[in-house]
Amino acid sequence: MSIKGAALRVAVAAGLRTPRGPRRRSALPVPYWLLSPSLIPLAVIVFVPMAFALYISLTGLNQNTIGDWTHAPFVGLKHYLDGLDPRGPLAPSFYTSIKASVIFSVATTLFILPIGVGAALLLNGRLRGRTFLRAVMLLPYIIPTFVNGILWRLVFMTDTGIADQIMAALHLGPRDTFWLIGPRSLWALILADVWASWPFIYLMALAALQTIPADVHDAARIDGATPVRIFRRITLPLIAPTLGLGIALSTINHFNNFALPYVMFGPTPPDEVNVMPLNIYVNSFITFNLGLGAAMSVVALLIMLTPAVIYLRAARIGDTD
Amino acid sequence: MTSARWTRRHFLQVAGAGAAAAAVPGFLSSCLSSGSSSSSGPPKPATLSLYVAKDTARPQAQAQLFDMIKAQFEKENPGSSFTYDTYASAAEETTKLETSAAAQEGPDIFEFGSTLVPTANATGAFEVFTDDMWNHIGGKKIFFPPQLTMSGPSPDKLIAVPVSGNPWAMVHNKAMFQAAGISQVPTTWDDFVSAAKEMTNGTTQWGTAMAPADGFDPWHKIWLFVTQLGGQLMDSTGKKGLLDSNESVEACAFWLDWMAKYKIAARQDAAFKGADEVRAFATGKIGMSVMTGPGGMGTWDNSPVAGQYEYTLGPTIPVGMSSLPPGGKAAQGFVSGQYYTLFKYSKNQELALNLLKVVVSPEIQYQYFQLRKQQPVVLATFDKYPELKQGNWAALYDAALKAYPTPFFSAWGPLEVEVGKAINKIASQIGITGSYSMSDLKAALTQVNQELQASLG
Repeated sequence: MSIKGAALRVAVAAGLRTPRGPRRRSALPVPYWLLSPSLIPLAVIVFVPMAFALYISLTGLNQNTIGDWTHAPFVGLKHYLDGLDPRGPLAPSFYTSIKASVIFSVATTLFILPIGVGAALLLNGRLRGRTFLRAVMLLPYIIPTFVNGILWRLVFMTDTGIADQIMAALHLGPRDTFWLIGPRSLWALILADVWASWPFIYLMALAALQTIPADVHDAARIDGATPVRIFRRITLPLIAPTLGLGIALSTINHFNNFALPYVMFGPTPPDEVNVMPLNIYVNSFITFNLGLGAAMSVVALLIMLTPAVIYLRAARIGDTD
Repeated sequence: MTSARWTRRHFLQVAGAGAAAAAVPGFLSSCLSSGSSSSSGPPKPATLSLYVAKDTARPQAQAQLFDMIKAQFEKENPGSSFTYDTYASAAEETTKLETSAAAQEGPDIFEFGSTLVPTANATGAFEVFTDDMWNHIGGKKIFFPPQLTMSGPSPDKLIAVPVSGNPWAMVHNKAMFQAAGISQVPTTWDDFVSAAKEMTNGTTQWGTAMAPADGFDPWHKIWLFVTQLGGQLMDSTGKKGLLDSNESVEACAFWLDWMAKYKIAARQDAAFKGADEVRAFATGKIGMSVMTGPGGMGTWDNSPVAGQYEYTLGPTIPVGMSSLPPGGKAAQGFVSGQYYTLFKYSKNQELALNLLKVVVSPEIQYQYFQLRKQQPVVLATFDKYPELKQGNWAALYDAALKAYPTPFFSAWGPLEVEVGKAINKIASQIGITGSYSMSDLKAALTQVNQELQASLG
């Protein structure tokens, strides 16, 4: 193909009219051909396994059939009905997990949002030792999740853990407060994850803050705006799209967090922290009920599409106008 | 190029020859891969791959043991060697099993714990040992007989070679027994509760400890009590869960009552895992630890209880009874230990058998005891090294003889998880409120039994 021809195709791809004659309709628009080198691997890497998971969820794949998994019996919607039908045998466990995952992911995101934004605002201004502090802020984020899990398990050990000792010293509770079993286990998990993940929002917010021209703030100050008003009327609206993305990604990440609850609570966690990834893992890899595990994964995927769609709609990503 | 006219006969001749050419190497290969020791020459040199359980308590001892095995294996099989990869949790073990079985590709030798052997057998990914294969490594008769009961579904379909034992017995703190004036180790659970009460002060010292938050401890204990009561956790077909049976409810209630009713275990134990119980006993403030393997010795020998603990047989008569009920068994524990299996799709099965032969030699078996504090499983080792039946190991030897196999059901894994869920739930209630209701326990057991039933299909 000549250079001129290639330029013409790029121009067409960019939506420009050709200088001569009407635009011709091709069988497949050029942009799609140009995208194909990435779309095809994407389909192979993402969509084929998803389709495979969907198929597995309709089969009775387990320890008896995994050696010849292509012949696993087809069970239709059995796994979905077992879990989603309120009268199904697995419904209590299924709904408990959905509830635990939603509460955990939403609560953690709500907690890390002000912490991350606050830290970003602090370190965006002029501050002595700013570079050092910016590096320190990332420490919780770069510590491996399983190490975090072990550390927080030790912190929350009944009687001997630091949490109980601090609470007892401050007369906030008895020394034998249980954090790793019962209702408080949810708070233990949220606290551990907040500590590990707030730098994500901090990074997103800091990146957004650095794109705001200094003149905008200077002008507002000259006009007599207070710092709070500047934040509410200028800073927040300008970083909102990035924060929106951060919130959506954070919610999804927390929802999918497997390592932290697994290390902290093991394969038989309290109901309050029996989050979906843990339940899916136990069903798939401990009890060998791979069909059920795949069905739960499909449901988890559908739930996870919610924050993604909300964000895409709010940010109007994908709109051409 | 000349164009030949292909007749139907010509086509069939060529296709037949092609099929034969394809089939013969396959046939030969399958003959070789049968692992028979009757093949004429030594196996082709290769490097075997092993996937084994990590000895988290003594990783250096494990490495030392494998160095010894490797030296012996390389000496007997010039040009061959092996590498090993380890798993530190049951989750890793099962994940590798699933992926290898599905992909039909994996290590030449897998190590499994006794209760996972039925699951491994169900995948069909492991070689059933023929008489020739057993003879190659010394024959079935060389093994401690109870260990073979978990090697396969029936004596003619064994897939797993025992390599080490993990007998369950009771351990007690001699100093605490003496201080409480207890002269005899309890043989009934009533005596056990009485003795434990004697040693409990309710704040810093407890008659016993428990680990209801552990992934395995709950089913271990519940299985023990149910077996002594004459019940089962699953019916004889392996298709019906019995987690809500009277015996199961009674067994769970008795164990949970250690915290709730008898107050012989601390409420804090509600969040304990197995390692926490071992550490608690090491403080010297716990009187007895029930159904305990030899694994804790490494911790206790370097703790305040060093020289102060003693293994004995545990109680077998259910609480409130003076003898075993009809069908009840005087079980000390279940047959437990580690097993090596040959991956069906391995191309080095004969060489792998040579390695197994080294592993079950009395000298290497003794090193399992010497270095890793595990019980050997080869009878000749006990004859050759008398210390294996002395001191604490005498009680562990007796306990191994009084172990009963768990049913060889592939669904045993799901059962373990479901028992753990119910116990964990009620133990949490006890930890927080100090008590529980029988209706909550029954509801929890009914729920997990339904879940088990759903996974049984």
